[in-house]
Amino acid sequence: MVMKINGLSLKRNGKHILKNISGELEGGKIIALLGPNGAGKSTLIQSMARLLECEGDIELQGQAITNFSAEKLAQNLAYLPQHSQLQFPLEVEEVLSLATLPFALTKLQQRQQVKQVIQDWGIEPLAHKDFRQLSGGEQQRCQIARTYLQLSNMKHINESREVGCGLWLLDEPSSSLDLEHQQQLQKVCRQAANEGHCVIIVLHDLNQALHLADDVWLLQEGKLRAQGSVTDVMTEELISEVFNVTARRIEDSGKYFFIFS
Amino acid sequence: MIKKLLISPLGWLLGILLSLGICMAALFLGSIDVQTLMNTDIGSKILWDIRVPRVLLAFVIGASLSLAGVLIQSNVRNPLADPSLIGVSAGAALGAALMIVLADSVDFQAQYYIPIAAFIGGILATMAVLKLGRNDMPGGMALLILAGIAINVVAASLIGLLTYLATDSALRLITFWSLGSLASANYFWLILCSIALLLVCIWLPRQHRKLDAILLGQAEANTMGVDVKRLQIQSIVFVALLAALAVSACGIIGFIGLVTPHIGRMLIGASHRFLLPLSFFLGGSLLVIADGIARTIIAPAELPIGIVTALIGAPVFIWLLIREGKRLQW
Repeated sequence: MVMKINGLSLKRNGKHILKNISGELEGGKIIALLGPNGAGKSTLIQSMARLLECEGDIELQGQAITNFSAEKLAQNLAYLPQHSQLQFPLEVEEVLSLATLPFALTKLQQRQQVKQVIQDWGIEPLAHKDFRQLSGGEQQRCQIARTYLQLSNMKHINESREVGCGLWLLDEPSSSLDLEHQQQLQKVCRQAANEGHCVIIVLHDLNQALHLADDVWLLQEGKLRAQGSVTDVMTEELISEVFNVTARRIEDSGKYFFIFS
Repeated sequence: MIKKLLISPLGWLLGILLSLGICMAALFLGSIDVQTLMNTDIGSKILWDIRVPRVLLAFVIGASLSLAGVLIQSNVRNPLADPSLIGVSAGAALGAALMIVLADSVDFQAQYYIPIAAFIGGILATMAVLKLGRNDMPGGMALLILAGIAINVVAASLIGLLTYLATDSALRLITFWSLGSLASANYFWLILCSIALLLVCIWLPRQHRKLDAILLGQAEANTMGVDVKRLQIQSIVFVALLAALAVSACGIIGFIGLVTPHIGRMLIGASHRFLLPLSFFLGGSLLVIADGIARTIIAPAELPIGIVTALIGAPVFIWLLIREGKRLQW
C-alpha cells in the first residue's frame, strides 16, 4: 500500500474544509477525486502531498508522513499543482531537470533522463524556450512531464525486480490540454499504474473519469460521500444528487457514458 | 551566443579577468597617477591605505549586494524585491542616524561607532521583520514583504523625525550616510565584509538547484525535495548579514541589489548555477565603476555613490519594467 489516510480533517476559519476522510491508496491503481467546486478535492490532494497541516494520520509507505524529510518525501510522491506561475526566465529543459533533484543521480544520468522525457513527450521544439512564453497547455504538458520524470525515478526492488512505488498526485492536469494531449495523459497515467505507481487525479470531466480511473473518491462538502470502483460509485443517482444535475448513464459496447441534461 | 560563452568554463575566466581589469583601472583613477604615488612615502600610503581598500571594498560590497538581491528575489519569487525591501537598509540607516544625532548632542567623536550602530539597527530591523512576517503557511513570504514595507516606513519616519532634531552638521552626516559613500573605506570593513561574502560563497554552491526549484513555486519545491522553510530562513539570515554589513561600511547604496540580478538574468537566464557567479562578478564590477565615476566626475569633490547607482540604476530599472511588461503583458 502506498498511502493510508485515517480520519483526516482540516479546518479553516472554524469551518471544516475536510471532515474525517479515510482511505487506502494502492499501487497499480488510478484513483479519481471527483466532486463539485468547493468539495475539497484540491485541499485533499494538497494534504496528501503534506502541503497543508491537518488533523488525522497519513501514512506513506507504512510510515507517518510527518516523519519524512523533504528529500525523502520527494522520493515517494510527485505533485502537480493546479496552477503554477513562474516569474523568472527558466528554460523548459531547466524546469524538467529539477525533477531529478531528490535523487542521487550523476550529471550524465540527469541529462539522459531529461533528454528522454523531452523525446517521449514530443516537446523537443520547446526544450530551449523560456517557460513563461509557452501557452497554458504547453506549460501544463511540461509540468506533467516533470512530475512524471520524478515519479519514474521512484522504484524499489520487489521479488527481485524493480517495481514503481510512487504516488503521483495530479490536480486537474487536463484542464487546458487539447484532446490529443488528454489522451496522451491518460495513456501515461495507465502506464504509471501498470508500473506499480498509484495515480491520484482530480478531474472535472466525469466521462474522462469513467474511462480512466479504476476507483473513485466522491467528495461533497469536505466529506467522502462514496468510495469504490468506478462503476459502483458513478451511478446515475449519486452523480445526479452530488452534482445537482440530471445524469443518465448509458452503455455502448461495454463502455459507460454519462449524458447530462 | 553571449549566453553560451558566459556559461562555458571560459565565462569564469572572462569574469575574473574583466573584474580584475576593472579593479586595476579603478586604482589608476584619481587626481594623482599611480606612478607618482609610488615614488613618495605619503603617496604610497595614499595608494595602499586609501585607494586599494576603497576599490576592493567597492567590489566586495557590489558582489554582496548583488548576491543578496538574487537570494531575496528568488526566495520571495518576486522580481521586484531587493535587500532594502526586508528592512535591513532602513534599520541600519536609522541606527546610524540615531548615533549621529546622539553623538552630536553630547559632543562625542562618533565616526567609529556609527557603522556599529548601523549594523545593530540593520540586524534588529531584520529580526523585527522576521518576527512580524513569521508564518508557517505556504505563502508566508508575502507577509514578510509587507512586514518589510512596514518596517521601512517606520524607520523612514523616525529618520525624518531625527532630521528635525539634528544640528546642521549632524544633518549633513545623516544625508551623507543615507546616500552612501565609499570614502571611509578601510581594511577593517574590507576584511569584515569579505568574511561575510566568503561565508555566503561557501554556502551557495549547494543551493543553486534548490533555488531554481523555489522559482517554480513553494508547493512544487516542497514536493521536489527542498525544505523550503529552512532554505528561506538561511537565505534571509545571509541577506541580512550581507546587507547590514554593506550599509554599515558605506551607507545605503541602492539599486545594485535590484538591478544586477536582472541584468544577469537577461544575459543567461534564471538558472542559479550560472546566475550566482555572474551576479557576483557583475555586481562587484558595477560598483567599482560607479565608485570610479563618483570620485572623479566632479573632482576634487566627490558625489555620494548612492546618487550614481540610482542615476544609472533607476533608468535601467524603468526600461526593464517596460520591456518585461511588453513581453509578458502583465
